[in-house]
Amino acid sequence: MTKKKLSFRTLCIILTFVFLYMPIGVLVLYSFNAGDSTAVFKGFSFKWYIELFNDTATLNALKNTLVLAILSSVISTIIGTAAAYGISKMKNKYIKNATMSATQIPMINPEIVTGISMMLLFVFVAKLINSTSFLGFWTVLIAHITFNLPYVILLVLPKFKEMDKSLPEAALDLGCTPLQSFFKVELPAIMPGIVAGFIMAFTLSIDDFVISYFTTGSGFETLPIRIYSMTKKRVTPDMYALSTLIFITILVLLLISNLADNKNKIELSKKTKKVLKIVGGSVFGTIGIATIIILCISATTEVKTVNVYNWGEYISDGGDDTLDVNKEFEKWAEEYYKSQGKKVRVQVNYTTYASNEDLYAKIANGAGGYDIIIPSDYMLEKMKEEGHLQPLDSSKIPNLKYLDTQFENMFVYERTETGENGEKTTINDRYGVPYTYGVVGIVYNGAELLENAPEILAHIESGNAGWEVMFGIPKRDANGNFVYDSEGKMILDMDDPENKKFNESYLKLKGQVLQFNNPRDAFGAAMYYLDVDVNNPTQEDWRAVYGLLAMQKNYVGGYVMDEIYNKMENGAAWLAAYYAGDCLSMMGENSDLDFFYPVNEEGYHQTNIFADAMCIPAKADENNLELAYMYINFMMEEEIASANAEYIYYACPYTHVINSDDYKINMGYYEYLYSNDGEILEDDEGNYRLKLDANGNPIYDPEGDYAVIYYDFKTPKVDDPNTPEIDFMLPIDYMFERYMYKDLTNVMLTLNDGTEISQLNMLNHKWEQLKVQSTSMIGIYITCGIIAILIVGFIVYSIIIKRKRRKLYWNNTPTPKAKKREDADPDLSDTTLVAIGKAKKREK
Amino acid sequence: MNEKKIIEPKGVDVANGEENVQAKKIVQLIDVAKSFDGEIILDHINLDVYEKEFITLLGPSGCGKTTTLRIIAGFVTPDTGDVLFEDARINDLPPHKRHVNTVFQKYALFPHLNVYENIAFALRLKKVSEEEIYERVEEMLAMVNLRGFEKKDVNLLSGGQQQRVAIARALINKPKVLLLDEPLGALDLKLRKDMQNELKNIQRKTGITFVYVTHDQEEALSMSDTVVVMADGKIQQIGTPTDIYNEPQNAFVADFIGESNIIDGVMLDDYKVRFSGHEFDCLDKGFGRNEAVDVVVRPEDVDVVPLDKGMLNGVVTSVTFKGVHYEIIVSIKDFKWMIQSTDYVEVGQNIGVYVEPDAIHIMKKSEYSNMFGDYSSFSDELEHLSDATEEEE
Repeated sequence: MTKKKLSFRTLCIILTFVFLYMPIGVLVLYSFNAGDSTAVFKGFSFKWYIELFNDTATLNALKNTLVLAILSSVISTIIGTAAAYGISKMKNKYIKNATMSATQIPMINPEIVTGISMMLLFVFVAKLINSTSFLGFWTVLIAHITFNLPYVILLVLPKFKEMDKSLPEAALDLGCTPLQSFFKVELPAIMPGIVAGFIMAFTLSIDDFVISYFTTGSGFETLPIRIYSMTKKRVTPDMYALSTLIFITILVLLLISNLADNKNKIELSKKTKKVLKIVGGSVFGTIGIATIIILCISATTEVKTVNVYNWGEYISDGGDDTLDVNKEFEKWAEEYYKSQGKKVRVQVNYTTYASNEDLYAKIANGAGGYDIIIPSDYMLEKMKEEGHLQPLDSSKIPNLKYLDTQFENMFVYERTETGENGEKTTINDRYGVPYTYGVVGIVYNGAELLENAPEILAHIESGNAGWEVMFGIPKRDANGNFVYDSEGKMILDMDDPENKKFNESYLKLKGQVLQFNNPRDAFGAAMYYLDVDVNNPTQEDWRAVYGLLAMQKNYVGGYVMDEIYNKMENGAAWLAAYYAGDCLSMMGENSDLDFFYPVNEEGYHQTNIFADAMCIPAKADENNLELAYMYINFMMEEEIASANAEYIYYACPYTHVINSDDYKINMGYYEYLYSNDGEILEDDEGNYRLKLDANGNPIYDPEGDYAVIYYDFKTPKVDDPNTPEIDFMLPIDYMFERYMYKDLTNVMLTLNDGTEISQLNMLNHKWEQLKVQSTSMIGIYITCGIIAILIVGFIVYSIIIKRKRRKLYWNNTPTPKAKKREDADPDLSDTTLVAIGKAKKREK
Repeated sequence: MNEKKIIEPKGVDVANGEENVQAKKIVQLIDVAKSFDGEIILDHINLDVYEKEFITLLGPSGCGKTTTLRIIAGFVTPDTGDVLFEDARINDLPPHKRHVNTVFQKYALFPHLNVYENIAFALRLKKVSEEEIYERVEEMLAMVNLRGFEKKDVNLLSGGQQQRVAIARALINKPKVLLLDEPLGALDLKLRKDMQNELKNIQRKTGITFVYVTHDQEEALSMSDTVVVMADGKIQQIGTPTDIYNEPQNAFVADFIGESNIIDGVMLDDYKVRFSGHEFDCLDKGFGRNEAVDVVVRPEDVDVVPLDKGMLNGVVTSVTFKGVHYEIIVSIKDFKWMIQSTDYVEVGQNIGVYVEPDAIHIMKKSEYSNMFGDYSSFSDELEHLSDATEEEE
């Protein structure tokens, strides 16, 4: 009977653990998945862990999270312990209880309420002190301290209560001053509570999403926020790896704290061991079961995969009733194999990166497993030069015939091969198939500008606005040379009355301007502004663009890539330079947003034009090559390319798409939105609509090309300087020459002292310099480091002292065997007992 | 009264009157008063503690004995009066500057330190060298019979072992006075007896003055050189254990120290007292003629005799077997007497009782008269309750 009951209990426990740990088991398992899919386990691999450590944005978020967790938990532990000490010393019971309850209420409060109320408070304070860029690291830190405090108090207070009241008296009695008594006796006595409180605060802080989300501003992203923002697109498996690491870290922390707490009970009883066995068995059993199930499922059909690594928001992904291009490809390819008589499951593993540099870091660091990547022009060149790409077999991409003539020779590189007989043949290798192309422009929030900086808005709407709205106007001396401060920063011009007027307006944008978070585009923007050759600047040019960016740093709300969507769409930032297609996507989400191309002083547009191309990395899996070519070809299908163009708003380089009515109609919509001279139609509700002809068909701009969204791009024509206004696509060779980034790796810069340095190294060096030259965060890192060092130092110190003190007695003295009962006390016989007797009876 | 015949417990040699005069006063409380929240805890007491003395403050809960101890330790500052330590006023000296150490009721061992570190604590504060610390800790451990326990976690020790650590920790500073606040209160009976012996032994070996607080009268009598009986914030009597037992000064002391039958009586003349309707010879004198007095007769001093031989006669109302003897309650003239006798008697039996002259102790009437000494409502349970652990603050 007892036996049966026991086993039932055990079963219950096991079931509970299966329930509790199944999800984490699956997560851990998939973090070691060799494939990218969530459904198929393709074998064991550390690839996602390697990926994780190459993902700079995630690592940065992780760093932020850790810094935040350390600072907030340390501060809240100190404040909380002090509060608990104060409460425990309160004499009046009613006040004591009331105080205790009051400290616990925020814990019961829903997180969302705390988050929103904190945000409200911060915004209120920001209004009071008239600051616009108030939300950020400090507000999140304050919020975290606030919500951690009650937990610390909750865990520390009982220790004060449990503590023998005479402990401090005993310390005083033995010669401690009151201060020594606190630090040498009371504090160590409640240390388990403090450690528990610290760990609790630390894990809560790492874990928190809701409160951080509401209280953070631009430019400060914690890990949970980053993971959440990724779910908008897709959670990549390196997040599984990260979650696994976090889970294991927390587990280890917990084990350590438990062991420290129970160091007295380290001799585990049989019962404890049994429980541990059950628990451990269940956890590992769960993971095992999950593995077996998944392996069984994946073993049934042959799976072919193609691993696509693309920019974020750079494909029609099925959101908002659009075509899910990857799904379509899987379907199409499966059908294709079926027609070949093969039963194959096709899987597109689609992951994204935020910048060319992120992509390069991964590929160059040898992260394999990608079959298709989509770098931009200059990055493609660089990767090709470094041998990270393989030449494409054009015969496997029949749709290349649709490639517009202007792109025919783009990404095709000549190579001379010497035959056996010494004759030389020239071979043209294609390394990329153009995917889209576009221009960098400036997106702005018209409503916010109208309210806060109407002069800037008026300037933009005049059509003559250039990069100065992003940077402000720097000061020049009488000779027209820039003026720098001691740190090499430029200074806003406050002398010239007109410049002063503009700069004063610009200052109203402080904290609301977003800059690219990659060196090429950020420096590119500065270079276009200062009219510097983006592909071969001089040393003096570098000094100037660096000075400009460093000056701008004081006013930007953050360096961003994909985060820009959130910031711009919800009005957290007002002005940003970004890729045109993405700007148009944002405009679709927020009707306050508007967009323009910056012009230079002569009134010509001056900005970056780029083309992204599909490439196959040199390290691509050979087994996936067939599918990779099929994928590239599939992307060039009319229906697919149209869907992409409509979804991502980038211009399409394929003729059959360009000439399709669908494309013209859909893209033409934007012509009317942004036409300077064309007729803009608004309906009664203020929505823009298409101009229709008599038959009800939409009319697109007869002048307008397929690239209607990029029309009206004013640039000096190389052949005829007198015809400044030309169609965007026409002088493409010139445009690419003038406005496209090139690979800088082998472009050498001769410094004034005669030494040579690669322009790319110069770029990266300046970028590092710009990013490191951070004001507040560096201090925070140093503080964090010091705190960590102090804690570790203190622990090491106390261990050393302990060891030193032990030296004399630890090994010299035998340990008596554990006595079980009090009556087995050490023998008293050697004490000469004097019978005092009981003086009760007196002699008569 | 034949005082000289009392068996002196061996070794209690410092406490006798004459020697006390020569011994040096180490702690003096002069007219010390203390009240908390308007409640008087100490009512102007005067107390002298002599060097090398084992002095016990004895009294029921709330009598002020722990407060007295804490005043000496420095945790409580008296409202009025002076605390002298070796003739210097120390009223305002903080605890850590006094040459006094305390053994706390619940030991107050530092939970984060092991046995060795607990004992070494005071020396570490004084920055004594490691070698000397080792020597002295080992010495202390030997004294309290805990050699080999250095590495033990204090939380895992038994009550008795914790007690020894607490004593060693307090003694390592070589204090001039050791204060012990009911140190054996939490131990079981057998262990308590062992520890009593050991404590006494340690006191004799070290020659340190012990000021010991307890509510256990047996403990007080068996260990002390001097017993200070306290009640209601006042000192009722100071004396050697035998003095206290044999010559209680009032009904409270008589009742609190051991069992007592306290009967109203009238002093007829020197050496003549009348109570319970009978005239007795006694050894006391110096009272006024026909002065009303309290008469104390210890239960063990009453002999049970046949009816015809009894000085008084009564009916047995209850008999309890106590191991060594029977505890017999006898109703004599409506007053319930307690008698301890090895002879068995039946409930309801009429018996005679016989009281020798030296068994009678005469006390002046006091505020405690008629409050104690009648066993009509006697029960073990009540007795137990009145001994409840003291919690003064």
